[in-house]
Amino acid sequence: MVFITEQEILETVSMIRSENLDVRAVTMGISLSDCGGRDPGKVAERVRAKIVQRAGRLVGVADELEHKYGIPIVNKRVSLTPIAHVLGSDDPAAYVEVAHALDAAAEEIGIDFVGGFSCLVQKGFTRADSALIEAISEAISGTRRVCSSVNVASTRAGINMDAVVRMADVLKSVSQKTAAEDCIGCAKIVVFCNVPEDNPFMAGALHGSGEPEVSVNVAISGPGVVRNAVASHPEASLIELADLIKRTAFKITRVGELVAREASQMLGAQMGIIDLSLAPPPAVGDSIAEILESMGLGQVGAPGTTAALALLNDAVKKGGTMATSSTGGLSGAFIPVSEDAAMAKAAADGVLSIEKLEAMTAVCSLGLDMIVVPGDISRSALAGVIADVMAIGMINAKTTGARLIPAYGKTVGDWVTLGGLFGEAPVMGVSSATNDAFVARGGRIPAPLQSLTN
Amino acid sequence: MRTSVIVTALGPDSHGLLAAVATTVAAQNANVDDVSQTVANGLFTMIMFVSFDETETTMVALKDALEATGERVGLQINVQHENIFKFMHRI
Repeated sequence: MVFITEQEILETVSMIRSENLDVRAVTMGISLSDCGGRDPGKVAERVRAKIVQRAGRLVGVADELEHKYGIPIVNKRVSLTPIAHVLGSDDPAAYVEVAHALDAAAEEIGIDFVGGFSCLVQKGFTRADSALIEAISEAISGTRRVCSSVNVASTRAGINMDAVVRMADVLKSVSQKTAAEDCIGCAKIVVFCNVPEDNPFMAGALHGSGEPEVSVNVAISGPGVVRNAVASHPEASLIELADLIKRTAFKITRVGELVAREASQMLGAQMGIIDLSLAPPPAVGDSIAEILESMGLGQVGAPGTTAALALLNDAVKKGGTMATSSTGGLSGAFIPVSEDAAMAKAAADGVLSIEKLEAMTAVCSLGLDMIVVPGDISRSALAGVIADVMAIGMINAKTTGARLIPAYGKTVGDWVTLGGLFGEAPVMGVSSATNDAFVARGGRIPAPLQSLTN
Repeated sequence: MRTSVIVTALGPDSHGLLAAVATTVAAQNANVDDVSQTVANGLFTMIMFVSFDETETTMVALKDALEATGERVGLQINVQHENIFKFMHRI
């Protein structure tokens, strides 16, 4: 029999009721290896049927667990085998047709998003990859729940700069097509280096080739809990602070482990991973920036921000790995500007720049995430920003992603409102120095040396 | 199958709060296995260990009934399966 103290009971209740502890996402990964073919109509129907069959109960199970444990489960999602591996067609229109089938299936089973309109092109393009990238703009701007990701770089292969440039074109096109909704289409597209195969977070979730038939991956949250723990110990040294964050991350992760075990059993799926990430929603009091500010920074972006974030990110991982043996996904603190109210404010105040965020990318999860740039940014400049983020991931053997939103018709200082968990953010400035000749060279940046790591 | 839940109640103190919660639990054919309550600075805090047979009531019915009682007497009442407390703090 496990003994529970009154203090532990009240702490758990307080974390959920007062500090916004929730499970950010329960994501079912589904293999589409038995849905392949070249006929888009048949593939679309097979994929739709499999999603409905395997994930039809996902929302109901999540709701049941929410009631049982009294903890909100915010998002229910499905990730799929990269569609370029499923549909062997070189016709972009075929991929658009499949995207609409994914959207319809997601709506039918009531999930928030479906991810996997994806391909991996770090070393080069197959004809299917090329067609899928060509289709992203129309597919994403014409659907509501479909998310797309493209892996353009890896530590073992280097950076496919041709793919980087093509993704810059895709983002500019989607920005224009969804301009009436503040360019929201771009929030559903991620460009990756070292893409994880088991990530439960959107927009970058896909079900990799090493994954089982069906798995359940869980993304935890809880910036508010960590922030309150940090804020209530202003006297703690940095070592004590790291221990405090570890203990808090342990508790948060245990909840994810409980939900993952039970959800996978109820859904007849293999338990996948717990993503040890602190993911901020736009609500005040539930923010990564506010954790850093509670640590003693006047505002996120101040000198010392990267160091504070490194401490936070490492402590979250250490505490989390004690709580579960199934870690994976992106695992780390997120710094999405539009989704973190205090971060968006720091950007608007001119305290937080893209260059500072890039440095922060080197020590935390993901990368330049939900950052709004001027709508008239050149193709080369956008490609350069993406390439910089990819380079940090490639050299440091970590996942980095770029989720950039060129705000069509808007300029530095204007605000973009994306709504819901996507939040709002100011348009941030990008250096106006030119890089056209560098980007125009094309080709691939070679894979880095894995020794002499200074 | 027997289910064990933990009921917590927080709010400004007044007469009959524990009785109101216990009466609701009894009306749902659930059993109070253990209870503790304190009042500090006028704030009522109660932790109640409750179990029930799933053939006699359900988690949802118990929760709805207790939340309605909480609204009536001015308490914030939470009903959660005991496993979340067991799981969160220890391996």
